[in-house]
Amino acid sequence: MPRTINYIDAITEALDQEMGRDDRVFIMGEDIGPSGGVFKATAGLFDKYGEDRVLDTPLAENNIIASAIGAAMVGLRPVPEIQFADFITPAMDTIVQQAAKIHYRSAGAYTCPITIRICCGASSGSGLYHSQENATWFTHEPGLKVVMPSTAYDAKGLLLAAIRDPNPVLYFEHKKLYRSVKGEVPEGDFTVPLGKAAVRREGRDLTVLTYGSMVSLSLEAAELMSKRGVEAEVLDLRTLSPLDKEAILTSVRKTSKCLIVHEDKRTMGLGAELSAIVGEEAFDDLDGPIVRITGPDIPAMPFSPPLEKAWLLNVDKILAGMEKLAAY
Amino acid sequence: MASKGSRAVLEPETEKSAYSNELCISLYTALLKCRMCDEKARILFRQSKFGGNFYSGVGQEATEVGAAFTLRKDDWIAPSHRDWTSNIIKGAPLKSCFAQLFAKATSPDRGRSSPAHMGFPDLHVITPASSIAGQLAVGTGVAFGLKRLKKDTVVVAFFGDGATSIGGFHEALNFAGVHRLPIIYICQNNLWAESVPLRLQTALKDLSERAKAYGFPGYSVDGNDVLAVYESATKAIARARAGEGPTLIECKTYRWYGHSEIDPAKYRIKEEVEAWKKRDPVLAFEKYLLDKKILNDSRRAQIAVDINREIDDAVEFAENSPYPDPSEITNFVWAD
Repeated sequence: MPRTINYIDAITEALDQEMGRDDRVFIMGEDIGPSGGVFKATAGLFDKYGEDRVLDTPLAENNIIASAIGAAMVGLRPVPEIQFADFITPAMDTIVQQAAKIHYRSAGAYTCPITIRICCGASSGSGLYHSQENATWFTHEPGLKVVMPSTAYDAKGLLLAAIRDPNPVLYFEHKKLYRSVKGEVPEGDFTVPLGKAAVRREGRDLTVLTYGSMVSLSLEAAELMSKRGVEAEVLDLRTLSPLDKEAILTSVRKTSKCLIVHEDKRTMGLGAELSAIVGEEAFDDLDGPIVRITGPDIPAMPFSPPLEKAWLLNVDKILAGMEKLAAY
Repeated sequence: MASKGSRAVLEPETEKSAYSNELCISLYTALLKCRMCDEKARILFRQSKFGGNFYSGVGQEATEVGAAFTLRKDDWIAPSHRDWTSNIIKGAPLKSCFAQLFAKATSPDRGRSSPAHMGFPDLHVITPASSIAGQLAVGTGVAFGLKRLKKDTVVVAFFGDGATSIGGFHEALNFAGVHRLPIIYICQNNLWAESVPLRLQTALKDLSERAKAYGFPGYSVDGNDVLAVYESATKAIARARAGEGPTLIECKTYRWYGHSEIDPAKYRIKEEVEAWKKRDPVLAFEKYLLDKKILNDSRRAQIAVDINREIDDAVEFAENSPYPDPSEITNFVWAD
């Protein structure tokens, strides 16, 4: 009987197993110790591994990352946590100027094998400053890998792959998925390769390029379209940088239509880059315009329920995008 | 030059005569080598032999030599933009150093970083980014890693007075204090952060007082007295190696030239510059050694001749080295 666990429990299990397997791995961040993290992603690890390997840090994001980078330079495998993606900005300097560039600027002499876990994304009531995704910022920085799992299986497999990768990896975990997504996850060791997208639903009529919390909504919308005879293929990007161009282009060339769905803001969002890739490399295969269904160009998700509802993406909004494309 | 009246100030406790003649000659040789390399680099830049920019450390040599001279090979240095000569003190071959200035493929980073942003990984010198206080933060992380690995190696981080205003400085020193990390923070207070005077940078008289806020000792020393820096740093290094935690050492010094070679530094008055030049850290130590008859004129001349020959060879090597091939541009974006 396959075992089914929550997305967040898959994260905890990956941390636990990798710390058990590899002495070099340790975790550090705000409130991750005895408290087990604000969402309990590190619950139980302090009792098992002690303060030496489950370290509560001062409230100083830039230093959390800087100290992880330094520790990685002497051969350790730190897994620092940024409690909310909204508060990653103080660490921007060390992530972008140090982590992303140390391997390049030292001609490969120094590597930066750190995995930054970042809780991100909108869930009801999370408001302006606990709802931001902000993953796209880092996709603009070669040298950084950026991933966001949408399933419990990937939550474990991508995290294990990230920790073992010699590059800095930003592992974005969507808070809405923590306990709403369950799935079969092997108890043993396995990895999900970085840089590889996954086809979540096969279809011949249009391609949906999406990731994170938008995968399940896109699948719901695809089922509704299927009843109308339109079969959408849903591609879960999983790794946002570097992108799996081959999977993207293979799917778009098959269906000739491309819908992009992401929760983060529209302008200069990941959809803009995906759209450019498809436009540049699969233009002749397209039967219609590239359509984007994205979060609005508003600073962040407002708090008041009617405003929040207007901000959030839902199945209907994605359906509208599919309908628009299906008409071509 | 240590300011009196501040509890943060460390007066040199050891008589200068306590240091062996051999050590004194080695320190002098290192000082002179840093000076001659730096002045040569300035000339080469002005001759357009290399481009970009150059950040001279002339005037501050005693801070570098005094702090880095006693480091072991497996100890680390976290340099800033003005500390390229710290590589030389740690033992970097001059040929590779000048190849770096010339952005040649024979440089330690195969021509990726700007001329003075030099770090020799084999010598555990972190390749610097330009971000001020960037390396002291990462260097603190290195110290954190070294402590976790239970090593007895230490980190020396160099930075200027301007860097002490940045949030990352406070975050790093606070963290180092919490975990008693094996790191020595060497603040080269040269009174000017690019064009901004110290009075607009801090209300403190001695920057070493900041250490109190992080729970570890801070000392202010005459940064133009190589033995004062050496003594203070040696004690701090021993303390760090013994697991007793970090130390902040403010070296009061002065950069003779502009922030960079394209900065005429007209914001400083001539009298100030001339007064500091009279307190030349290299000549002051040379005079001391001559007076004490530890050094004589012929030995002094021979040391300079040897350094000159090494510099000439290095410049020739750098000039004759190939540039990196354009096809290398995408190498090292990702680690395999």
